[in-house]
Amino acid sequence: MATSLTRVVELRVSNHKAYVWDVDDIAILRAEHHICGVLTGTLPHVSQQNVFLGPPLILLPEEVVLLVQKEFAVLVDDPIAHHTPSTSKLRRWNSDRLVSIRAQMGAVESKEPNKKAESLSEEALRKRREREETKAAAARAKALAEGNTEESTLQDNLFSPSPSSSATPVPPAVDERPATPATSANLLGSLYTVTIPASSPASLPWYSSDGLTYSTLESAKEAGIWTYPSDLHERAKCGVFRDLWENGFYMGGGIRFGGDFLIYPGDPLRYHSHFVGTVIDSPTAALMPMEIVAHGRLGTATKKAHLLCGWDDEKQEVSYYSIEWAGFG
Amino acid sequence: MDDYLELPSANAEPSKLDEIREDEDLSSEDEDEGPDWTKLPISVRPVIPKRGEKDFEPIVQGGSGYQQHVLNRARTAMLDALRMPRTISSKGISYGIWHPEIARVHVTTARGTHFTSMGHSVARAEGNSTQRALKRLELLPEEALYLVERGSLFCWKYVESSLLNAPGLDGMEGSPMTVQQTFAEMIGREDLTPEKYQVYAYLRRLGYVVTRTKPPTSAYPQAAPFKTRIHRLSLLERMYSSIRSLITSFVGLFSRSLNGWRPIRHIPWLHHNMDYPSIFKNLRFLHSGHSVPLHEKKKSDQPPSPYEIFFNVYKPATPFKKTTPPAPDFSMVVVNARTTPMPTLSELTDLFEILPELPPPVPRRRLAFVEQKEQRSTTAANSPSQPIPQLSFLGRLITWIYPRAASQIPEPPRKPNPFAVLKAGKKLVIVAVVDAGTTSFFGFRQGMFEEFPMA
Repeated sequence: MATSLTRVVELRVSNHKAYVWDVDDIAILRAEHHICGVLTGTLPHVSQQNVFLGPPLILLPEEVVLLVQKEFAVLVDDPIAHHTPSTSKLRRWNSDRLVSIRAQMGAVESKEPNKKAESLSEEALRKRREREETKAAAARAKALAEGNTEESTLQDNLFSPSPSSSATPVPPAVDERPATPATSANLLGSLYTVTIPASSPASLPWYSSDGLTYSTLESAKEAGIWTYPSDLHERAKCGVFRDLWENGFYMGGGIRFGGDFLIYPGDPLRYHSHFVGTVIDSPTAALMPMEIVAHGRLGTATKKAHLLCGWDDEKQEVSYYSIEWAGFG
Repeated sequence: MDDYLELPSANAEPSKLDEIREDEDLSSEDEDEGPDWTKLPISVRPVIPKRGEKDFEPIVQGGSGYQQHVLNRARTAMLDALRMPRTISSKGISYGIWHPEIARVHVTTARGTHFTSMGHSVARAEGNSTQRALKRLELLPEEALYLVERGSLFCWKYVESSLLNAPGLDGMEGSPMTVQQTFAEMIGREDLTPEKYQVYAYLRRLGYVVTRTKPPTSAYPQAAPFKTRIHRLSLLERMYSSIRSLITSFVGLFSRSLNGWRPIRHIPWLHHNMDYPSIFKNLRFLHSGHSVPLHEKKKSDQPPSPYEIFFNVYKPATPFKKTTPPAPDFSMVVVNARTTPMPTLSELTDLFEILPELPPPVPRRRLAFVEQKEQRSTTAANSPSQPIPQLSFLGRLITWIYPRAASQIPEPPRKPNPFAVLKAGKKLVIVAVVDAGTTSFFGFRQGMFEEFPMA
């Protein structure tokens, strides 16, 4: 958590939700700006559970408003920032991919030199070749059926020369040695590890947020990508959130505790929340006695005090009242 | 705990396992106790650790720096886990092409078990319309997103095939998409809101099979309609039951013992309807029950309700056939907590109108601990099928003539506990409420108080 990480974080906005994909950005938001968000994505290596989730981090709208107002972050119109790549960029991407596959194959071969080849008899090799050929034929037939490539171009595609190949557009070869990973078609058919990239700026050279970043809420609203806060209640929530944040608290969503926010004294990773906060829109808003009873009861049951946060939109001030069960006999 | 100071590395050590086991006893009640990322092993073997402990609050005067150290350790562990790449063997990965104009992913290489419950085949004429329409496997946005997110599917974005014919692009079916791009482009298409996707992924991760209730196109398989619970008796059964009831009432005339709880005798041909339920029923002058239509009339110009069943959810154990899905185990509504108020009475009524009646909950038979143990051992020993004890001919004759005796041989069906039934309700709809990343599930049940008068 070096402090030198500070930079303006780009929040990727689509469908009026702000996502953070970059893990360094998540670290910056958390360590420096006290903003936690909610992790919502599947962790690929433990994908069948909901306790530990991974990127994307979804931010509460109040968090986004605060980050933009404090100039810690800018909003990016994410769907448009994924530009259509040019052919040359696609070609570079593909050659990078082949290089990485080749490197993987090289690493495997140097680790266990020809162990496999020795164990396979000539007969087995022949059989495997036949299998691969039928598979290739099937793939070709399928590709043809899809109809997006014609026969000749397909041949070109599958067997086009890669730097080291002999550039022979061999039809299902009889004499071809199976051990040579020369053509890229062979290479793609071999066993290697595919990585599905997560974050676009890190892995797609054609991703660019130039001209699509919005550093104020007004400009983002004009562009139609961000409308929060749009009414008194939303303004009140943003105001209360900012005030608590300025007092050094960490906030999380409070929906499971019957409030608007959970209020933590430190990073929620290590500390329990002390309060469940409810936002009251104005100093004159009506408050039912029943609500006080319910909040007091619920807060006590979860070892928290309930915090009523009254927002005064004219003065831009918050007044706080906490409720606890008094416990007289 | 002090050994953390000596071992400031974030790697999971083998000794952690014991620690995790110790923590099980301490697992506390708090829901806001977030997951302890330091216990998530970054290895191949997925082990879900227990939730960890937390401190009350940071010490203001700095303390010994211990708190800061533990916090940093927790953060590092979390960020390391988040950095794990999505890797998969080239022999296990599936490929698909995202067609934004139809909001579908065309699967070109399907591998793995996921496709037994995902995707549907569509006949599409490709390119020029003169070609015959061919069936192909397509994924809805949420299905594709989920597979990409868990690292099973590599998605290409459709580009003109002429562009792909350029040299050096072999093996590519489009422009490659990142997980970020799939989120940005697929959510918001085909009625998929961010909230709905979160609920979909949440349930999928737990192993539920989730499909759309309303088919987006006619090619999408629709779930079987709900079974009506009215059990039609066969002619033979009806004859048997009428004869049997006749005999029962005849025998009952003589054998009836005085029941202190029900002093009124119900003799059908003397006093018509003289038992308690019918008396109360006759006394009632206001109709009750859900069969009575609401007084509130729906306005025609109302905007469509957000309370509409969107997902069909099947338990992981349900035998699921993709082309002819059975009637769902649960029906799910997804709402955004920030914009949607509680459902109104008429919205709930509309929901329950579609849904089937559920059978009453099976009463649990309380067994003594010894019995439970015995049962477990016997079921483990001879689980296939126990022979049903055969009655002798005489026994059967007695059963037939004198049914009361018969009912004592097999155990009489236990009457359901009215409170359990009232709690379970007759119909159930699940509402998933999503508030910026946090999902909660609520079951709304239709009560049936009119069927269990307490008096």
